[in-house]
Amino acid sequence: MKNYIQLKRWTPTLVWIVGLLVIWEICSWFLLQVLQVPLAQSKLPYIHELMYTMLEYGSTLFSEGWVTFTNAAIGFALGAVVGSLLAILMSLSKWVEQLTFPYAVGSQMIPILGLAPIVYGIVHDDQLSRIIIAAYITFFPVALNVLRGLRCADPAAVELMHSYAAKPWSVYLKLRFPAALPGLFSGLKIAAPLAVTGAILVELMGATKGLGVIMLRNLYYGPSHNYMFWLTVIAGALLGIFSYLLITIIERIVSPWQPEFRSTGGDE
Amino acid sequence: MTITREYLPEIEFEHVSMRYQTDAAEVLALEDVSVHIQKGEFVSLLGPSGCGKTTLLRIMADLIQPTSGEVKIAGETAREARLAQKYGIVFQSPVLYDWRKVKQNISLPLEMMSMNKTEKEKRIHNLLELVGLEKFKDKYPWQLSGGMQQRVAIARALAMEPEILLMDEPFSALDEFSRERLNEELLSIWSKFGNTVVFVTHSISEAIFLSDRVFVLSPHPGRLSAIVEIDLPRPRTKEIRNSPEFYQLISDIRSSFEGV
Repeated sequence: MKNYIQLKRWTPTLVWIVGLLVIWEICSWFLLQVLQVPLAQSKLPYIHELMYTMLEYGSTLFSEGWVTFTNAAIGFALGAVVGSLLAILMSLSKWVEQLTFPYAVGSQMIPILGLAPIVYGIVHDDQLSRIIIAAYITFFPVALNVLRGLRCADPAAVELMHSYAAKPWSVYLKLRFPAALPGLFSGLKIAAPLAVTGAILVELMGATKGLGVIMLRNLYYGPSHNYMFWLTVIAGALLGIFSYLLITIIERIVSPWQPEFRSTGGDE
Repeated sequence: MTITREYLPEIEFEHVSMRYQTDAAEVLALEDVSVHIQKGEFVSLLGPSGCGKTTLLRIMADLIQPTSGEVKIAGETAREARLAQKYGIVFQSPVLYDWRKVKQNISLPLEMMSMNKTEKEKRIHNLLELVGLEKFKDKYPWQLSGGMQQRVAIARALAMEPEILLMDEPFSALDEFSRERLNEELLSIWSKFGNTVVFVTHSISEAIFLSDRVFVLSPHPGRLSAIVEIDLPRPRTKEIRNSPEFYQLISDIRSSFEGV
């Protein structure tokens, strides 16, 4: 019975994915054979060709993707820590907020495309600059959402702590931090795919390993490497989706009490 | 010294006034209120909205400070009493922490005291038993009904074994049946603890059923307009609600509003 329900639940998703691939394949054929568009395979390659290439170069994609992912993950973690600390400081003092907030907002106005070579020029290390850019992208949405979470603790809940003569750090530990967890996770969910994209972007500027490196290389080699290029793009997208899902899973484990995770079925 | 202490009232308000400054005008929430509440007494603050009953309670709890007048809690200031963890508070909404299970919510105030683990667990167990929620100790607040949530809030307020229990319309969000049942439960809990209770309500029958004395407040500005002694015998059961004395008290208190 349970398997049947599971099956029923996943059927629409499965049908949707298969349908999409079929439509893709048909469009690709149409461009190539019917319209005879020049460089048709660069515009929309055959799925089966992509799959052949995948079988052949899958391990390369995986190892390069792993390099990108680990660098993005380190930067992401760093950015999350910095963002959270900044949010705590801002919540403690209006003065800190007024001093740092305009710069935090301003920092997000700088195009990453321009910033990446500057960072690389300063640190002269492709690994480190990937980490820095990923952290740079992450800290802002995290800081913003955590700050809101810290501030939005129920005033009555704060009064309750006050009535216990709770120490300020107790109020943070037992009330404001848990109350800010949903904010932290929405910040992380926004930042995770962006951190991956940021890391790939830095790799395009010049690195020795990573998804961005083989993406650029296959783009330069021209139409003969078209399928591999497409695969790197798809791998990049999948990496972003994977990071997002990973955060979602962690969120469910860390804060299962959130309203969106509550089962609607009658428990009692 | 100890003999004079015995006669000291638990809560003393002398000529307390409270003014708020809003954009439009100055609001006089409380005007010259003097109140004396004895140790171990159950007192209700009764009145329509805007009479300052919640303001009075919040001053007692040191959540706000009065504009003028003197407040003494067992001879100390309200702030000293709060810092000495003498208060248990139950708000209108349960204010349970979503991320804590029932037993963890009850243990929250105990985490602010130095108490060893076994004693803490024993006390939580007793409180769960007291409010009849042993079976629900591992549930999250949202898995409970409104009445159950408020019972958790009461257990939490009693966890520190406070000298003074302050309750701000705790049952006003509940239906009549749950409210009356919780009134009876509250009295049976209070009979075991014997602490001083100040209970804010706008329900005349609730105030009469629970209290030793009812302080009637009138609005605009908030003033103390009458103090009614409730000489109904204890322990009180639900049958007492149908007694002629009960009805007499209801009409007495109602008429005290009419002059206003």
